[in-house]
Amino acid sequence: MSDLMGIAVVTLMIWVGLFGYVYRLDRKVSRLED
Amino acid sequence: MRVADISKIGLLVWLAAVIVAAFFYVHAAEGFIGESSRIVFFHVPMAWIAVLAFLVSCVTSVMYLRRRDPRDDIRASVSAGLGLLFAFLATTTGAVFAKIMWGAYWNWDPRQTSITILLLIYAAYLALRGAVDDPERRASLSAVYAILAFVTVPFLVFVVPRIYWSLHPDTIINTRGTNEFDSRYTQVLLASVLGFTGLYVWLYTIGCRIEAIRQRRRQEVLDV
Repeated sequence: MSDLMGIAVVTLMIWVGLFGYVYRLDRKVSRLED
Repeated sequence: MRVADISKIGLLVWLAAVIVAAFFYVHAAEGFIGESSRIVFFHVPMAWIAVLAFLVSCVTSVMYLRRRDPRDDIRASVSAGLGLLFAFLATTTGAVFAKIMWGAYWNWDPRQTSITILLLIYAAYLALRGAVDDPERRASLSAVYAILAFVTVPFLVFVVPRIYWSLHPDTIINTRGTNEFDSRYTQVLLASVLGFTGLYVWLYTIGCRIEAIRQRRRQEVLDV
């Protein structure tokens, strides 16, 4: 795997992880609002 | 599936596509060491979001002073916090670029210096909010501070780095008023700015909702 491919994969993993965290937080806030 | 969920999944896919395009759709730009030019697709949108967030904080602060609606105070504080976060991320990605291009993470370049001042100004905003207990007094003081703080933003972000000689590349917004990026760079950069703006709107909405719940619970405790 080239360096560029490695950095791209790590960046994608960071983005998907961040998205998952914020999505769960969003759901949790929705539950608290009910 | 609700429309809100579809738009969130859309944001996930959109920014994932931007990441793939940033690494594989565009070529490394000439005049930059290695692949360092690709950082522009993340660094510039982060800086853009910081300015947008500080603008929203200023506008909602003006609205608070006019209407005295506590929700405007919440909006201003959440947006200032997000602006600080994105300004910090822009500084960090800029430092990585500086290390590759100029050999050191920090060079006291006019742009690095001006963003440091900006970070300190908005960190002081959050410190001010933490130092005042009375909610109405806190809201009024921080609204006035946020308006004054935003006055410095155009100077620190757009004017100062162009007055002094800078190491910072000026291919996007430059003193000649031209865009010297090739078309693929422009396409990916605009897509990234759009995606980051969507991310900011989502985080801002969640932040406002959390703060509203926190205030409601605080009020319930006081009422008991």
